[in-house]
Amino acid sequence: MVEKRERVVFWYGCNAIRHGDIIHSAMAVLRAVGIESDATGGPGYCCGTSKDGNLAAAAGMAARTVEKFNATGRDKVVTWCPSCHRHMGTFMGGVNPAKFEVSHITEMLHARRHLLAPLLTHPLERRVVLHAHTGFHEVDAYPLVADLLRLIPGLDLVVTDFAAPGHMCSALAAVPQALKDVVRESVDLCAAHDSDTLVTVFHSCQRLLCGLATTDGINVVNYVNLLSDAIGIQPPPDEYAEWKNAGSEAAIMASVGPDRIAKIGADFFAKQVLPELRKLPEK
Amino acid sequence: MQSETERLLAYIERNIERTLDDCTTCGKCFEACPMTAYSEKLTGKSGGDVAAGVLDILRGTGGTPEALEWTRLCTQSAVCIPACPEHVNPMLMMRLSRITALGSTGGAAMMADGKRDPNFFRRINAFAALQFTDTEIAEQQR
Repeated sequence: MVEKRERVVFWYGCNAIRHGDIIHSAMAVLRAVGIESDATGGPGYCCGTSKDGNLAAAAGMAARTVEKFNATGRDKVVTWCPSCHRHMGTFMGGVNPAKFEVSHITEMLHARRHLLAPLLTHPLERRVVLHAHTGFHEVDAYPLVADLLRLIPGLDLVVTDFAAPGHMCSALAAVPQALKDVVRESVDLCAAHDSDTLVTVFHSCQRLLCGLATTDGINVVNYVNLLSDAIGIQPPPDEYAEWKNAGSEAAIMASVGPDRIAKIGADFFAKQVLPELRKLPEK
Repeated sequence: MQSETERLLAYIERNIERTLDDCTTCGKCFEACPMTAYSEKLTGKSGGDVAAGVLDILRGTGGTPEALEWTRLCTQSAVCIPACPEHVNPMLMMRLSRITALGSTGGAAMMADGKRDPNFFRRINAFAALQFTDTEIAEQQR
């Protein structure tokens, strides 16, 4: 049984950055069970998995990131992203000697569920459906998350037999019909189980499904925000979902606000960010 | 001393050699794959033939259109892994096939890199600027 306090590197990856609420909630939940995290992520810590077509870039990113982790002196890196976790276990770690162990956050939290359970004192009275994928074979994350969610008082968790292909929804982007099938199946499962809430485990599922609030009246929420909420730590707002469900370009821009738009440049925001935020799930 | 790129290439080549040694082209991985249903090119094809085409990609001798299509469609479902009687790890095989087919191991490119996006990291940095403080960005993302 794990009891001691730990300090780890929490490697949240690149694309999870779209969901600042998830990263902040994950850190809060880790802290609640005795894990202080030196959080890292973004392109400066990219694993290189997106660079299959450019080995020099992939190799450079992988070597740099492992060297940075080695330099921290921490003996454990806790991953969030299944792509990063997989890449570390294969192409990164197979080439660059690592001075640290790697664990996935679901493993860390599950190993400390005896510490988490007494903290979950705020009931969440709702029925939720767990959204799952087949592909993260390195860690059996969904049963671990299901165990954690079952600790939340009042929460009625529905675990179905459906698991989408891929390790998370973004893996399906190259096969649009497959993603549409997953969206339709997710909506159908919520209806079949009389639930208005779908729970995601990974960020790209949150990103690609959170628009279901607009299209189908389904709230999509990440599990760490539920855990944080049940502990009594108000999760940060899911701004990405708020923007995606704002309803119009004008409403998105009002929600983001002129100061933040200016920070990244109005032209870049209009050409690169708005189109993503306007895209809703398709069935 | 090898460069980091040479080390990665050597790692890839070792795994390609192991795959070529171990795969018997039984086709069980193809039969288990949930993505083949999404391509008419793969409808009714023999798993063994398509897997043999993948091995040809790995050998650098060119792949069949079906093998390239399957490579393109791979979403890392991992359903193929327990289906393989030889414990090859077909999901890794498909990743190696993709890397090879993109021309990254020195041969000619056989397929386009659909993931190439010049704004990929810029968008991530933009979302960081929208949701993280300057201090967080400086401490966590640099």
